[in-house]
Amino acid sequence: MKKFTLLAAVVAGLAGWTALRSQQGARLPSTANGEWPYYTADLKGTKYSPLDQINSANFNQLEVAWRFKTDNLGTRPEYKLEGTPLMVNGSIYATGGTRRSVVSLDAKTGEMNWVYSFREGNRAAIAPRQLSGRGVSYWTDGRGDDRVVFVTTGYRLVSLNAHTGRPMGAFGKDGMVDLKVGMVSGAGRQIDLETGEVGLHATPLIVKDVIIVGSAFKEGMTVATHNNTKGVVRAFDARTGKLLWTFNTIPRPGEFGNETWEDGSWATNGNAGVWTQMTVDEELGLVYLPVETPSSDFYGGHRPGNNLFAESLVCVDLKTGQRKWHYQIVHHPIWDHDLSSAPILADIVVNGRAIKAVALPSKQAFLYVFDRVTGQPVWPIEERPVPQSDVPGEKTAATQPFPTKPPAYAKNFVAIPDGLIDFTPEMRAQGLDNVSRYKNGGLYLPPVVGNSQIVAAMELGNAAGGTNWPGAGYDPETHIVYAQASQSSLFPLSLRTPPEGFSDIRYVMGRNDTAFRVSEGPGFGSAADAPQPGRPAAPAKPAAGAAKPLAAAPAKPVVAAEAPAGGLTVQGLSIVKPPYGVISAIHLDRGDIQWQVPYGETPDAVRNHPALRGMNIPNTGQGGSVGLVVTKSLVILGDSQLTTTPQHPRGAMLRAYDKATGKEVGAVWMPAPQSGSPMTYSVDGKQYIIVAVSGGAYSGEYIAYSLPSGN
Amino acid sequence: MRKLFAALAATLCAVAQTPTRTVWDAVYTSEQATRGEALYTSTCAGCHGNSLQGGESAPPLSGVEFFSNWNTLSVGDLFERVRVSMPLNKPGSLNREQNAAIVAYVLRFSKFPAGSAELPQRTEMLNDIRIEMYKPEVKK
Repeated sequence: MKKFTLLAAVVAGLAGWTALRSQQGARLPSTANGEWPYYTADLKGTKYSPLDQINSANFNQLEVAWRFKTDNLGTRPEYKLEGTPLMVNGSIYATGGTRRSVVSLDAKTGEMNWVYSFREGNRAAIAPRQLSGRGVSYWTDGRGDDRVVFVTTGYRLVSLNAHTGRPMGAFGKDGMVDLKVGMVSGAGRQIDLETGEVGLHATPLIVKDVIIVGSAFKEGMTVATHNNTKGVVRAFDARTGKLLWTFNTIPRPGEFGNETWEDGSWATNGNAGVWTQMTVDEELGLVYLPVETPSSDFYGGHRPGNNLFAESLVCVDLKTGQRKWHYQIVHHPIWDHDLSSAPILADIVVNGRAIKAVALPSKQAFLYVFDRVTGQPVWPIEERPVPQSDVPGEKTAATQPFPTKPPAYAKNFVAIPDGLIDFTPEMRAQGLDNVSRYKNGGLYLPPVVGNSQIVAAMELGNAAGGTNWPGAGYDPETHIVYAQASQSSLFPLSLRTPPEGFSDIRYVMGRNDTAFRVSEGPGFGSAADAPQPGRPAAPAKPAAGAAKPLAAAPAKPVVAAEAPAGGLTVQGLSIVKPPYGVISAIHLDRGDIQWQVPYGETPDAVRNHPALRGMNIPNTGQGGSVGLVVTKSLVILGDSQLTTTPQHPRGAMLRAYDKATGKEVGAVWMPAPQSGSPMTYSVDGKQYIIVAVSGGAYSGEYIAYSLPSGN
Repeated sequence: MRKLFAALAATLCAVAQTPTRTVWDAVYTSEQATRGEALYTSTCAGCHGNSLQGGESAPPLSGVEFFSNWNTLSVGDLFERVRVSMPLNKPGSLNREQNAAIVAYVLRFSKFPAGSAELPQRTEMLNDIRIEMYKPEVKK
């Protein structure tokens, strides 16, 4: 293992930290105290806080309480800040910046208490999951031993003193556990601790004295091998960092499900990590693992069989990690339908029967609901025949599971022609012409080998549609799930043979009639330690600043952003019919959708489109997947896109929706789109909402909103 | 002294002025965009896609979402974003000429007209060019 240098790892300034903890007895943080102690508010994944100081009557009066810019938490700004801070006992804990530093801030003022960063060098620079990640986790013994736990870019589990930011020396080695130790590829080959492929954006799950950590890998569009690192979920002792158990998401010989990797393909395939948030039923002692796709994302010819536990919800025992039950959402996955969202634990009543349920939001916009004790679906989930692949070597599953209740809470395929843009007859006609070059056929349409005749299979809700990593929320009092979902995230899915020597996978993403291009994943190579060669001097060129515009620009087009002929846009607009995104309230006692409204507001591209002038177009909503907060009376979430309207200057809005009706009841301006899920908390009688914003020209920033003093 | 104030005021006005040109004013050359396309293919397409449609986590460089981020800002804003943080795996590895060429290709992809002069490489000059998704109406 290469020796790493720990430089200036801890700056622990800490003026004014006051230990508020009661010494008389254990005190555990909770949303009931106005805190937000977990990424998803609680261990059940609800994102619910009972606070109600900020409500429909005053949401419009919110103002910025404080803001925290993350530019200097790394060697350059981050434009993709996805964190959700925690608030415990008056302190905010969050990650930020290209270094994935951890900060503690005063919850009332945003003043920094301490910052911690660990410089991992090349190990971080080549890590598959970079930038600041989703945040941290909190552990306390309730008697003053309080810790902040997170996973570094280079996949180390770090335990910090929550009061000082200093590593807890008794945890692992010098406060950290090298999570790459024990990660394997093939039939059991330890990966290289420096260059081995594994990372994680999600926060660890901490319950009682156990820290549970998932694993994530490079995006699998155009990867070099299907035999990459194997996914695992592991549990560690929260005090010492000692490994407690390991759950193999690709079962080994003798383990349940190994036979679903036909021809011994378990030994030659990797991935199937758990890259999103997990949840746990503390009383039942059960942990719920949402497992992702195996390698490679879109071609399964090297792994015949259903490939358990890929794209399965797996329930394991908290103490042992032993499987209790599982349900595979997609058999033999080849669409990148990773289980993207934290499972939500909900105690519901269906037909008079009390059920301890677990509800899983998804990219498919199905809410899969199970009895979380037995794994039995609360409503029938039917195995239905699906189209079969004609890609050589691929053997698709004959059927896939389709829930009968609740109905899909967003579109998960484009109906032809009704699902196509229809602002004008011309737009519909062009849309029809464009899609004629794509294969269509509903959900679970297999990829095609793309060429000039059929460029791709047209997918919706696989890679990035529906509900992605931000997940959904739940009101435990009314038994309603609130889910935002994109229904305009089209994905043209086509395969091609890779260039000689590039990959051992027979087909990777691309088209045989176009140049091969490697597709990288989220922020790959963008960590603070990624190489930054000096900028070479610009070659001598005549200054072009004095350029004069042509005398006359062409009369047409007057609409920019037109994709190449046959693309999935029409005159610069999405080829799908709006709404582009929706928010849904799903009643879990009844299994139906109580209300559904467009998410956000009509994009400028539609509002200002020359061909649509004078038309009265209902709110189209916006695409993209964003997280939300559920409070006593509101559902709160921000826009994914910037707009400029008569009501507000260029910006994005943080909006409040009435939980009962879906009606928008308030909005407050943000300088950039919401990029991380919001949270809420209360300190000294004042409620705050924090949201991460970033994107485009705006670098990452946490903004805290509260009501004006005296309100 | 009064002249000095007047000159200072004029200078401040000049600094604070809004862009005088838009991307519809033929602000790049076709050759420059072609150079940019080659650079885009080798350094940008991996994340932003072959058709600038974006990837799972990289935003599109065309279409509604792209213009949501950049409409009404200046080409200088876009150029600086590229210069400071792109490409993600080697930020700063491209020089100004290369970055300008890539931005020119992005403009051409969205069918903004080409002209006879190249897109400038200096940010302050690019700040004078406004990104407008739709062609501004000619004021009579």
